[in-house]
Amino acid sequence: MRIVACVKACPDTQDITAAPDRTLSFERAQFKVGTYDLNAIEAARALADETGGEAIGLSVGGSALASSKLRKDVLSRGLDAFNVICDDAYSELDSYQSAALLQDALGQLGGYDLVLCGAGSSDVYAQQVGNQLGALLGVPTLNNVHKVSVGSGKAVVERLLESVVQVIEVPLPAVLSLTSASNIPRIPSMKDILAAGKKPVNQLSASAAVPQARVEVKSVLAPEQQSRQLDVYDGDVGAAVAKLASYLKAL
Amino acid sequence: MSLKEIWVVATGPTDLAKGARGLAEKVNAISFGASLAGADLTLVLPEAPEGALIEDYAQQIADLLAARGAKLVLFDADVRSRLLAGTVAARLGASPRNAVELGVADGVLSVGRMAYGGLAVALERIASPTAVLVVGPGTLPAVEDYPGAGEVEEVAAAIVPSGMRVLDIRPKAGETVNLASAKRVVGVGRGFAAEADLELARRLAAKIGAELACSRPIAEGVNWLPTERYIGVSGLTLRPDLYIAVGISGQIQHLVGVNKAKTLIAVNKDKNAPIFKQVDAGIVGDLYEVLPALIEAL
Repeated sequence: MRIVACVKACPDTQDITAAPDRTLSFERAQFKVGTYDLNAIEAARALADETGGEAIGLSVGGSALASSKLRKDVLSRGLDAFNVICDDAYSELDSYQSAALLQDALGQLGGYDLVLCGAGSSDVYAQQVGNQLGALLGVPTLNNVHKVSVGSGKAVVERLLESVVQVIEVPLPAVLSLTSASNIPRIPSMKDILAAGKKPVNQLSASAAVPQARVEVKSVLAPEQQSRQLDVYDGDVGAAVAKLASYLKAL
Repeated sequence: MSLKEIWVVATGPTDLAKGARGLAEKVNAISFGASLAGADLTLVLPEAPEGALIEDYAQQIADLLAARGAKLVLFDADVRSRLLAGTVAARLGASPRNAVELGVADGVLSVGRMAYGGLAVALERIASPTAVLVVGPGTLPAVEDYPGAGEVEEVAAAIVPSGMRVLDIRPKAGETVNLASAKRVVGVGRGFAAEADLELARRLAAKIGAELACSRPIAEGVNWLPTERYIGVSGLTLRPDLYIAVGISGQIQHLVGVNKAKTLIAVNKDKNAPIFKQVDAGIVGDLYEVLPALIEAL
């Protein structure tokens, strides 16, 4: 069975800083594979091991994907190979564009049984690339999938809705987006990291024109700070608690 | 100047049509089995047959929207609506956005969405002929004073079978909790050393009539609390009257879920914790000392 985990290179949000004028600085932010994409990689590895199949990674995006450090990091987390379509022109893809390029790339991979996505990307978090990819491919598509087990030609999944769990039989191939709690992604060992350097990275290119952007970004600014009283007591705990208790009682 | 027309796709009862009323002269809806409150016109599709998913109506919904010339289509943010938004949008050539702000100026729609885990809000213009948006709870205040024209058209459409079959529907394990409607919330984070210690937070919550919530590591790291209680950009976003963060450092990914709280209070032993830049009141101190004393004093 061939399982494809889709991942996105995103700037590490922990190192993005906001200036007083609310603009963002990416100077210290390195590109990393998205936090939630790690769930897709982990699930792909686990299902490939169960079925004696292969787990391959797929990503489309800008030049951040050219980084050998990032590629090795992706491969060290359990994938057998990594396929990328990377071009400067693809650094700000919206979900429809990403889905269209992923569809193109999947067509070049020579078949797949299951495509897995994370809950959402770390930067945009529209939570739609998997949904749109499944629709473009015309295959069964589900989001918020918490558990997957695969049998011959089909999977049975548990999907979390707001107050119930749906158990759904899904004919393969299919595209599933996972919950962020569906598994605990492995932390690569030194051995995994060394082995990653020897795994194949396949550079693909788009075989058709990429659709035009559906969205035009006007501004990206840190939210305006709520004005707060900033009444912080640092000192005698007893006195601080008494003050806080009377504050709470007065609310 | 408001928009001429908005379409709403409802997978169940929702105030979305009433919310859309604030932005447009005419609000039309597509729903399943029953008409939608607040809409001028509802196209009613049949409920999905036993074992089928309503998401498999995506093609018919896209066809209906295209045939009626829909320019702006809103979906709720629940799991099924979100999937439909994506699969309908793929058929209409649109990229759905998670709208946290919606405005209309000179007839042009402006959409605000979170970026970089809540660090920023991106303002966008939708360039596709049809805009598809997923609207979070509380984003569009319901306009209650106009009930809508209430016109209904039954649409005889059969589901396009995807081959997916619902084998079973089970209640979710554990408790169900509706944090979104809680007026007071106590949030716990990594400052708690052991699961049993959460009892302190539970006692505080009980004392002030609050619900218990947590940061992501508590729900998806150590799994001390269910994900339904986790606040953050990929979890819940709340607007409670009071939020007390205990042992939470205040990473932006968490704060974005509570920064609309009317009153924000924190207890943390690290005086440099980012949360102290966002509080109305706070105590720098060990929660194991502060909470018992606070519970006693209340």
